Amino acid sequence: MDQVQLTRVCKAYGSQRVLDNVDFCANRGEFVVVIGRSGSGKSTLLNLIGGLDEPDSGSVAIGDTRLDRISEAERALFRRTRIGFVFQFFNLIPTLTVAENIELPLALNGLARPAIADRVGALLDELGIGESARRFPEELSGGEQQRVAIARAVAHEPDIVLADEPTGNLDLETAERVLHLLNETCRRRGATLLMATHGREVVGLADRVVTIRHGRIEAATW
Amino acid sequence: MVMRLLLKSARRFYLRHPWQLALAIAGISLGVAVYVGVDLANDSARRAFELSSEALLGRTTHRLLPVGGPLPETLYAELVTERGVSRAAPIVEGELRLGSGPGRRYTLLGVDPLKEGAVRGFVGYAPGSAGDVGRLMLEPGAVLLPETVAAEIGAETGHELDVHVDGRPVTISVAGFVRDAEAGADAPAVADVSTAQILTGKLGELDRIDLRLDTEAARALASDPPPGTTLVAVDDGRGGFGELTRAFRTNLTALGLLALVVGMFLIYSTMAFAIVQRRKVMGTLIAVGLDRRQLLAATLLEAVFIGGIATIAGLALGHLLAQGLVDLVLRTIGDLYFAERVAAAEPSRWIYVKGASLGIVATLVAALGPSLDAARSAPAATLRRAALERRSRRRARLAAWWAVPALAAAAIAVAADPRNLYLGFAALFFVLAAGALLTPAATGALMRLAAPAAERGFGLPGTLAVRGVTASLSRTGVATAALAVAVATVIGIGLMISSFRASLVEWLDTTLTADLYVSLASAVLPDGEPVDAILDLPGVAGVSMTRFARLPTAEGEVSLRAVRPGPDGWGLELTSGGDDAYQRLERGPAVAVSEAFAFQRRLDVGGTLTLPTPGGTARFPIVAVYRDYNTGSSAALMSLESYARIWGDDSITSLGVHIADNADPQAVEASLARLLPASSGARIRSTSGLVDVSLAIFDRTFKITEVLRILAASIAFLGVLSALLSIQLEKGRENAVLRAIGFSARQLGVLTLTQTFLLGLAAGLAAMPVGAALAALLVHVINRRSFGWSMELVLSPGPLLSGLALAVGAALLAGVVPALRTRRLAVAGALREE
Ligand SMILES: Nc1ncnc2c1ncn2[C@@H]1O[C@H](COP(=O)(O)OP(=O)(O)O)[C@@H](O)[C@H]1O
Ligand SMILES: [Mg+2]
Repeated sequence: MDQVQLTRVCKAYGSQRVLDNVDFCANRGEFVVVIGRSGSGKSTLLNLIGGLDEPDSGSVAIGDTRLDRISEAERALFRRTRIGFVFQFFNLIPTLTVAENIELPLALNGLARPAIADRVGALLDELGIGESARRFPEELSGGEQQRVAIARAVAHEPDIVLADEPTGNLDLETAERVLHLLNETCRRRGATLLMATHGREVVGLADRVVTIRHGRIEAATW
Repeated sequence: MVMRLLLKSARRFYLRHPWQLALAIAGISLGVAVYVGVDLANDSARRAFELSSEALLGRTTHRLLPVGGPLPETLYAELVTERGVSRAAPIVEGELRLGSGPGRRYTLLGVDPLKEGAVRGFVGYAPGSAGDVGRLMLEPGAVLLPETVAAEIGAETGHELDVHVDGRPVTISVAGFVRDAEAGADAPAVADVSTAQILTGKLGELDRIDLRLDTEAARALASDPPPGTTLVAVDDGRGGFGELTRAFRTNLTALGLLALVVGMFLIYSTMAFAIVQRRKVMGTLIAVGLDRRQLLAATLLEAVFIGGIATIAGLALGHLLAQGLVDLVLRTIGDLYFAERVAAAEPSRWIYVKGASLGIVATLVAALGPSLDAARSAPAATLRRAALERRSRRRARLAAWWAVPALAAAAIAVAADPRNLYLGFAALFFVLAAGALLTPAATGALMRLAAPAAERGFGLPGTLAVRGVTASLSRTGVATAALAVAVATVIGIGLMISSFRASLVEWLDTTLTADLYVSLASAVLPDGEPVDAILDLPGVAGVSMTRFARLPTAEGEVSLRAVRPGPDGWGLELTSGGDDAYQRLERGPAVAVSEAFAFQRRLDVGGTLTLPTPGGTARFPIVAVYRDYNTGSSAALMSLESYARIWGDDSITSLGVHIADNADPQAVEASLARLLPASSGARIRSTSGLVDVSLAIFDRTFKITEVLRILAASIAFLGVLSALLSIQLEKGRENAVLRAIGFSARQLGVLTLTQTFLLGLAAGLAAMPVGAALAALLVHVINRRSFGWSMELVLSPGPLLSGLALAVGAALLAGVVPALRTRRLAVAGALREE
């Protein structure tokens, strides 16, 4: 069975139908890129998979978990343990240092202090941001901030990493490095990576590419 | 065109954030309301006093008062025929009580209706027709009742009423009515002099002669008064009258001042929030090419609009608040100082104008600061939030330094002139300002201190909470300061009251040496009938005796207590005077003066006090100054022996009965009551009863501070609420991220509440020392300078801790709304916004 499985999902905002009877699936460890114009519904799709939003109809299943059937509190627990997010605007917590931002999901999952310290140390090294551990996000460049965000997204070893236009706010060169890093980091952990983007730079790295157009998902046709 | 777009944008901002608008309006209008309400209450009280005293005093300029014995009736004729004083009116005064119960009490004014016009103008007291004047003069027991009273009890002309005059049952007949001289003051009951003499039992005697004199005639009469009299200017008499109420009014004035400061803070914090929220948009507008002046104009226009609506609401609210306060104030004052009810009076319209300007101006200033900021800091879109916060932290540190000159100014104001009350108020203001300036920095410091504990106790969420408070200092700084100022005020006044109360309790304990007090209906001789019998009662260890006399002096009346101390001594708390003070008092002739009297007339040990005696004025050496919290301020004391010798009057007016240690107090009281039944006119009161009554009056007087506490709490609540909500508006995105990471809604709510708690704690802790400083000023400076009272400052934990609880409670309560709102946060939507 596929790890991520959306069946006949509909989602509308007011009269605007953003997702119209969408079916989507992804396998464990797969890297799927979702391409579409701005406003086509990419974020909506990722938010549904991350349990940040609920479908109007249809089912969203992650493994055995039917996200459309569980409570908000259960969804919070689900996100805490099984999902990692990377956003376009980094969205690091400005009042926490780099190391503390990475600690956050671990602390939320109730890891013991020494275990947290070990993991954070390892992640800082892995992503090459050890120097900045004690600095605050605002003191970092965009590329560095996004690396911190990646570290935070994978710190608690989630099954799925959802990346919503992670390079949208970076220059080309930095974007490329960040993409590779994200790809490698997830692959090393065997985590599924679902990435929304409107450019086509990533397609070389991806296992599969799908397009959203007019509220429907199509396999890439190129 | 641009302006229209800008205003449209502002309107939509508020439509989208209705909370923000509601808070701004609520904050501003509450600020205005507090100021207007307290000021209105204050003003009404003052006017009620004036009206009441005017109704009693009429247009009299001077009074001729008896010195020593009563004023013989014949003196009046002498004055008119031999001295050519034409505008003079003889007066007999009594106290009229309806029914036999405690009832309401009115002044009974015995006048000569034919002479009255010359002195008093007689407008308010005119009976319906000349015939009534005739009746008043001819008919025995004829009295004009105050119109309102007559209406209340349904009395009509010709009715006979059983009443008490000066405690004696008499029958009066209603001859007509007295119109209230002016709305707001109770008129006295009026009778002809001779009727009043009969009713009060003062046959052939007058209480005083009211005069209308020009300066020259007054000087002539003052330098050579008829024997046994002195001339007292009515202005002085009025001064003395007003003095009684100063204690109360000073406290109200202080309260009004504090309300002004707190109101300003609240307005500033709420309006500044609304503007600061949009600094990014403003920055963008400037970047797009908008003229800074246009931006400022639009902001100010918006501020005027919001400030205007809120001010109108605030004036209405303040008006309502004042009604409640006025009632409370007048009832208290009436209880304390007047036999008659003091009625509420129409307050000055100026207060509304002042309140309105406060609302608009404070709103404008509050809006101007942040928008100037936004306009100046180039394309502010590039100014990151973090930079803004760094700047606020810098400003907080800078503000803390400004507290130094503020405190210095307070110190200078206190030291400059030890008698100037206004400088005392200025010091109060500066201390409060210093407290406000210190609060943001103190909050920062407290958070640094709390960080390790929060981290250890709650882990990363704890750190998150602590840092969140510091990180939003630009929003929370002013709110915390406002909260701290409001709470400091409550603490300061609470401490002042508890200190005052403690001093009062101690003073009562010292002063009331006897176990039972008997006030006698008429003066008796110390070795006369009842006194000897009392001494013979089983269980009585001794008696102390007092003759109370009011002595008119050129500077006003002096209340003289002539005392023969009982077995437990004089019962005085001396604030000045040598070890031999008591011996010198006993040896006589010498006086001790009350602290307040000493302060006002700049008297001290070694000086003299001039008093009128039957043998002419005499100077008495002052050998001690004693503490006296009685409301009348011109009080002096001497030995009964000296008084009897000099005034040729060895009667006494009250007795203190000391009960032997092994005797049963109740049995003694019972046998005393048999000896002096109520019908004899004597009143027996136990010391514990007197203490209870005194403390009850005290507590009622300061009941108004309860109102203050509620006001402060609601201000604190609103201030914090607006700060929290605006933080939350900005943190919507951050909260959404936390939710995405896996924070549950509940955890986020707890986080919000923790931050609120920390805010309240910081404000409460900052308010404690500020409140203590305010209390010290109120006790040692304000009270001292207005009444001459000294008291010990007691830093009792009660007011301090309840202040802290008030701050934390108000903050937590304010945190509930935002905490609940985080639960409904639409995560996906909040993540989209940028
Ligand atoms: N919370 C929301 N409220 C209203 N409309 C929304 C909301 N989220 C998304 N939309 C609308 O749904 C459409 C798809 O949005 P989104 O999924 O963010 O697109 P994309 O990420 O592909 O740019 C857009 O037209 C957007 O306006
Ligand atoms: Mg998107």
